Amino acid sequence: MRALVIGGTGFIGTNLVDGLLAAGATVRVTRRKRTATILLAKRPVEWVDGSLQEPEKLRRAMDGCEVVYLAGAYYPRYSLDLEGSLTEGVDGVRNACEAALAAGVERFVYTSTIATLARAPDGRPADERDIPDRMPEGSVYRAVKWAMEREVDAAASRGLAAVTMITGGCIGPGDVRVGTGSVIVGVVRGLLTWWVDGTVNLVDIGDVVGAHLLAAASAKSDRYCIAGHDVRVGWLLQHIALRYGGRVPEMQLSADEARERAEQEEREAAPRRQRVAVPRELVDMATTGQPVSSDRARAELGLTLGPLDDALDRAHAWFVRHKYVPPREQQRRSDGSA
Amino acid sequence: MVALEEEARRVTLATLAEIAQTSADTIRGGQRLREDLGMDSLQSLELLSTIGEALKIDLDIEEAMGIQTVDDACAFVTRKYKEQKADGSAVRG
Repeated sequence: MRALVIGGTGFIGTNLVDGLLAAGATVRVTRRKRTATILLAKRPVEWVDGSLQEPEKLRRAMDGCEVVYLAGAYYPRYSLDLEGSLTEGVDGVRNACEAALAAGVERFVYTSTIATLARAPDGRPADERDIPDRMPEGSVYRAVKWAMEREVDAAASRGLAAVTMITGGCIGPGDVRVGTGSVIVGVVRGLLTWWVDGTVNLVDIGDVVGAHLLAAASAKSDRYCIAGHDVRVGWLLQHIALRYGGRVPEMQLSADEARERAEQEEREAAPRRQRVAVPRELVDMATTGQPVSSDRARAELGLTLGPLDDALDRAHAWFVRHKYVPPREQQRRSDGSA
Repeated sequence: MVALEEEARRVTLATLAEIAQTSADTIRGGQRLREDLGMDSLQSLELLSTIGEALKIDLDIEEAMGIQTVDDACAFVTRKYKEQKADGSAVRG
């Protein structure tokens, strides 16, 4: 089986490439002029030029591929520009879908996020039924991701054999840009100056990759939630501090205060192109978070979810090995002298 | 050997300038990639990937993650370039 991975050097992408190679697939990965190819060094992948802004290159990249994984769609690094983010996000997904339709691929697997889900009724966990019929308001991240997902749905209505993977916050090795793993790095290095409570859904990156491969091979539905473990932010921060060292900030903000604070910090950081310790989209995820069911993926794909601590341990070990955080013993000495 | 060092430094500074969207002339050795040049972790890896492809050398991600300043980056690339030229492995691509 030949697969194309768009976004193969991202967090999910690198893990997906390794999963595909382990399963015996021939893997092609898109790259731009500047791509962190070092992340896939020594892997037998075929690099092809192309980006989500280049539809014709995308179509050529898909030639001969049975499956296309769109694992690296647009992720707004700041929640400051709704219109610009919508344009970039939606155009990129549309280009990929159009290319897949033109290339006639057998399966198109799109990685989305639980941020696109609506609040579930009657106190039940949210699931694949909870698709908002209107763009979520008050969150650039949720709005953009919702709109991107609708592009996949539109292409599916025109014949694209698409399956959308609605994932929780991925935890594990390879989180180069420190996405969900920012809770580990933030606590261990003492970077957090405040926090906000809410529900977050954490899932082992290995489970996410497994679900993607299963969905490509045997999806019976057009979307699956791969949400993982539902936890409260306050519990998670304490758990990380106890397990790996570091500290939980004393200042707990309300949802409104946190949104305002995160946005202000992003405005200050954006000109320097720096990420803030608690980005706005994580505030949005936590404050609108809810339990999410992965039952459909369990029933139809045979998905099993590994323990949360295993995922946290693997993520922490990767952050230590790549010098994002100090080793546990060094951290304990540092905590003791603080 | 001096020529190798100069080439490694020239390629490193030119790539740094391109990724950090600044002029190579304004980059100083003591500048920190993250705090002073605004590069995030992925851009640091794009930097090393681009340099590795330009010089046809393999750079190791775990070693590279300790790089903090422009001088660190130049020294790391120069060392790897000289090592791999010396043992004949710098022929990738």
